Amino acid sequence: MTHLSDGQRDTRIRFSDLVAQPRRVLTTPTWSAVINKGRAYSPFTLNVEELVPWRTLTGRQHFYLDHENYLEWGEHLPTYKPRPDHTMLSETEISANEAQGRLLNYITPHGKWSIHSTYSENIRMKTLSRGGYPVWLNDKEAAEMDIKDNDWVELFNDNGVFVQRCITSARIPRGTVFVYHATERTVGIPISPLRQKRAGMNNSITRTRLKPVLMSGGYGQFTYSFNYWGPTGVNRDTFVYVRKIDKPSY
Amino acid sequence: MNVRAHMSMLFHLDKCIGCHTCSVACKNLWTDRKGAEYMWWNNVETRPGTGYPTGWEDQDHYRGGWEKNWVGIELKLQSKPKAIANLFYNPALPELDDYYEPFTFRYEDLFNAPESKHQPTAVPISAITGDPIDIESGPNWDDDLSGSTIYAANDPNLEGVSEEVRQQMGEIERVVFNYLPRICNHCLNPACVAACPSGAIYKRGEDGVVLVNEDECRAWRMCVSACPYKKVYYNWSTGKSEKCILCFPRMETGQAPACAHSCVGRIRYMGVLLYDADLIKWAAEGPDDEMFDRQKEIILDPFDPAVIKAAKENGIDDGWIDSAQQSPVYKFVKVWNMAVPLHAEYRTLAMMFYIPPLSPVVSTIEEGLVRLDIPRERVDFELFNSLEKARLPIQYLANLFSGGNEEVIEKILRKMLAVRIYKRRESVEGIIDDATLAMVESADTTPEEIEAIYRLTTLPTIAERFVYPPYHREMAAEAIYGDPLARKGDVGFGYIMPPERGP
Ligand code: SF4
Ligand code: SF4
Repeated sequence: MTHLSDGQRDTRIRFSDLVAQPRRVLTTPTWSAVINKGRAYSPFTLNVEELVPWRTLTGRQHFYLDHENYLEWGEHLPTYKPRPDHTMLSETEISANEAQGRLLNYITPHGKWSIHSTYSENIRMKTLSRGGYPVWLNDKEAAEMDIKDNDWVELFNDNGVFVQRCITSARIPRGTVFVYHATERTVGIPISPLRQKRAGMNNSITRTRLKPVLMSGGYGQFTYSFNYWGPTGVNRDTFVYVRKIDKPSY
Repeated sequence: MNVRAHMSMLFHLDKCIGCHTCSVACKNLWTDRKGAEYMWWNNVETRPGTGYPTGWEDQDHYRGGWEKNWVGIELKLQSKPKAIANLFYNPALPELDDYYEPFTFRYEDLFNAPESKHQPTAVPISAITGDPIDIESGPNWDDDLSGSTIYAANDPNLEGVSEEVRQQMGEIERVVFNYLPRICNHCLNPACVAACPSGAIYKRGEDGVVLVNEDECRAWRMCVSACPYKKVYYNWSTGKSEKCILCFPRMETGQAPACAHSCVGRIRYMGVLLYDADLIKWAAEGPDDEMFDRQKEIILDPFDPAVIKAAKENGIDDGWIDSAQQSPVYKFVKVWNMAVPLHAEYRTLAMMFYIPPLSPVVSTIEEGLVRLDIPRERVDFELFNSLEKARLPIQYLANLFSGGNEEVIEKILRKMLAVRIYKRRESVEGIIDDATLAMVESADTTPEEIEAIYRLTTLPTIAERFVYPPYHREMAAEAIYGDPLARKGDVGFGYIMPPERGP
């Protein structure tokens, strides 16, 4: 595969180049895309075009994993799994008596306009996204809770509290509340009426848990390597109480 | 034949991901100024939705565009005699609430806030008054909100879509949307130009860009009302109207407009179209259902010797004719018949074109379930054979683009599907069988054309997407200023001073 570095051996990058912007030059033999001559990153082009076996037990892409741990946790095939019961998490028991609210499954998917927390609080992005970090609710469910589009809502559980305005939408499934991750805690964050403190960011109401199957190892592709394979912090989802509030103060 | 050249943009909506990179590129470049905060010369709308400014397509309210009557066509805003009588009366003008009150945040509080038991936060303030504000609208307020009963349900293009389908579009299983990026359409029959009492707006001869002469503008704002696309904005600080300039300083130096250049989905194409200016009146006065056909007819074939001769007589140089022959916009609009202007029925002869979006899957809900049990050998052809079940109703697209003419849209979607199915069968199944060939024929295309469409849609290089003619600014500068070297590197003309507030 030495031809992948053809024409690139005399590349020079000066320090001032790196200060100006990140540079991308060589195709690495261990990552999965050929990026020569400015070609856009596209996963697995290295495997397909250079006939490099996938770095798995069989050298192919895996859909099914027959590792004992995966079998035991029912994670051997990527199939539909119902949402867990909130009592399994014990993150809402104390808050249950604190105020009236509806218990919903809180999820924090990738945002439309940011990779994690990349500088989303600038005026351009805030102008394009309703001037805040909207909480997405199912429209019919919101109506049942007497919540209208753009009303202020408070999300709270035993971990923390999140206060923003909401969007009511038909594309959100019932029983679910969305906040795109990851929000900053700098711009337009009010005081929580319930807890009387500055409200938090999207991860203030989640908690890091270890996913057991990610601790499996010694099996082909499941071999620990820093930032490559190992237990990750799973802090995306939980359950929260959602309630409508009057306009809060800053 | 009076041949003129036009720079046109084409938007391939099937590729738009709604990232708004285009809007941000434009805003940073041109409208990051006092008085221009609310101007989005390029904006992206979620459809079905109400757009920006809210409900701009409601011409009963805004009175934009032209109307056909017994004399020919007239501005919907007002007839000429009326315009003089009503010079100081402009009730169709959109107000701040139809746009939004621009806001920012008191970012400096993050550094300067006095000590407190809470961490500091930057509160939202009005960009006009500087006072704290409750944010209640924005230029992209109903982003991704198709299916909404408060926003999308008011989209006028849903007219004629059956109640049952509209109901289904509000359910999570069938909610569907596409994105619609919009700039000024640099129309052939621009209502903004016709409405201006000061004659401040003009269409450039060389490439058709419609510009406001800021020195002549007297803030009547008739253009704002008359433009059916609401693409002229009034600067409250300078007291002048402003609009998209198609990045002419970039085009003159061989670069694509900032929105097109930055487009992440690579949905935009730029190229020259030659047209017959003698036929503009004929095209603009056509019957409703012929509007689009007539507009297409006035776009000329750049390979036709008679057209080339007439173009040269009109002073269009070889570089432009050559460029017109390479134009990707010409291919999509005229050769492949795949593109339509937005709201042909406004009669402004919009010169930016759109390829309508394809729906992902056939979708009919039967007894509460989306049907997925289509036999395997039929899967590929299912949508092709039942376009009436397309998830985004054809009627909707027809209202948006072709003045309600569904046949125009169906033909385009069939061709797009033929490309998709043909290439899928070729690369995934490895066979082009008789059924596929029959489908290709019924879509009024050929395997060769499909290959060409496929290449220009999915694999074009930047030089194939943006085909620029030589602008020869040095010749224009010489004609006007005598010494071309004295103005080397200049783009545009005049306007080097900030505008003064009109008298
Ligand atoms: S779209 Fe542009 S050229 Fe057409 S009427 Fe509006 S401002 Fe004028
Ligand atoms: S940059 Fe391109 S893909 Fe993104 S919203 Fe604009 S037109 Fe669509």
